[in-house]
Amino acid sequence: MTGALDGRSVIVTGSGGGVGRGVALACASAGAHVVVGTRDEKGRAVVAEIDARGGRAAWARCDVTDQATIAAAVDLALERSGALHAIVHNATSNRSSEPHRLEDVDAALWEEHASVSLRGAYLCARAGFEALRASRGTLILMTSPAGMEGSHGLPLYGTVKGALRGFTKSLAREWAPLGMTVNVVSPLAMSPAMERAVEQDPAMEERLSRRVPMGTIGDPEADVGPVVAFLAAADAHYVTGQTLAVDGGHFMNL
Amino acid sequence: MLDGRAVLVTHTTTALGRHVAEALGGLGASVATAPARFVDRHAAEDAFAAAGGIDAVVHICVDDAGLVAQPLVETDPEAWDARGESLIRDAIFTLQAAHTRFVTAGAGRVVVVAPTSGFTGAGGFVPVSTAVEGVRALAKSAARQWGTAGITVNAVLVPPDLVAPSLVAATTFNAPPVVGRLPDMRFDVGAAIALLLSPTSGGITGATVIVDGGSVMAP
Repeated sequence: MTGALDGRSVIVTGSGGGVGRGVALACASAGAHVVVGTRDEKGRAVVAEIDARGGRAAWARCDVTDQATIAAAVDLALERSGALHAIVHNATSNRSSEPHRLEDVDAALWEEHASVSLRGAYLCARAGFEALRASRGTLILMTSPAGMEGSHGLPLYGTVKGALRGFTKSLAREWAPLGMTVNVVSPLAMSPAMERAVEQDPAMEERLSRRVPMGTIGDPEADVGPVVAFLAAADAHYVTGQTLAVDGGHFMNL
Repeated sequence: MLDGRAVLVTHTTTALGRHVAEALGGLGASVATAPARFVDRHAAEDAFAAAGGIDAVVHICVDDAGLVAQPLVETDPEAWDARGESLIRDAIFTLQAAHTRFVTAGAGRVVVVAPTSGFTGAGGFVPVSTAVEGVRALAKSAARQWGTAGITVNAVLVPPDLVAPSLVAATTFNAPPVVGRLPDMRFDVGAAIALLLSPTSGGITGATVIVDGGSVMAP
């Protein structure tokens, strides 16, 4: 496979399914060597899929709440490719889509939300810094409209997603003199969490689609992945501190 | 402007918290203070109990621990928590205690106050910027959930100059205020907060008001 990511090396966290898997497949299609980082064994199937299509990938058991496992994924990328050009931190808590009332949440639920998505971003930045500095590489995070306009059903999810935008902008300023970039993508795509929600409420998909100007909920690989791959490519080296919505026009209020 | 209104101001150990408390007092409010961050919900509920009857809470989103410049990669997990995540938890506990208090009254006003540097970005201040933007999103979600209970939740952003010299040094890219001066703590910042605290401001919620003399003019 050849493309904008030829000779580049990318780590995608939480890439066993949903948006993360779509990003991993799209980056591989564009020519990258992809380290598929997952906490469980699901990442192996994604690597097999990339292999079968003639792409290059390796699996790393990566728990983003544990910096040592992120560092191991970085080492694997360096061992396979000699460099690391991008970390896409996509992993979120399995409980991130459980509705809750702010007045009822306890410290344990906050920890669940904060540890994977938010502290994981901090640990990815720390674990990846030296390798990304060497390549003048990029860190890509994931946000949501909930982080920009709040959320009626998921206040803690919205808090974490808003926090990630603050993280992105300040780190983008901090790393810019080193030639490194940091951006955040706001995707709308069918994920396992959204599929579960649609299963429970079959009308939801149509309701949500009607709110999307382009009329459909995105596909992780076809709609979201290529845009993340663009941000991971050398051509995007002058883009930093930005929030890029890839959502069919769903959120334009920025 | 605030005669007859009782307000709890948090983080009054910080210069920003102290100045906001003085400003609101100067505008006629009866002000109770909670000096330090809340480590759990009980601490917040206790502080609200000690404050007596209040109509509003002004939560300061920064504390002195968060205003130390350091590259993120040199920031250890303890400092990341102290300067970043703990400030989000503190805001969650404050909002929860505010809800407990205001939901029975069927009315309440919450304003979170933070520097514009969360919005603009500031090198060396990733943890506190993370916290500030997290709290701003939290305030919007609280506004969505509690709107029908008569509780409004808004944010007021102030320039780094009103927060800490270290933050000013990290935001030299900011344009100077177009009004030719920094905002006055009482008559600009205090007055904007007072508007959001007034009983007649029920139509404003989930909003961010930037009181920086027209420096940032964010979208």
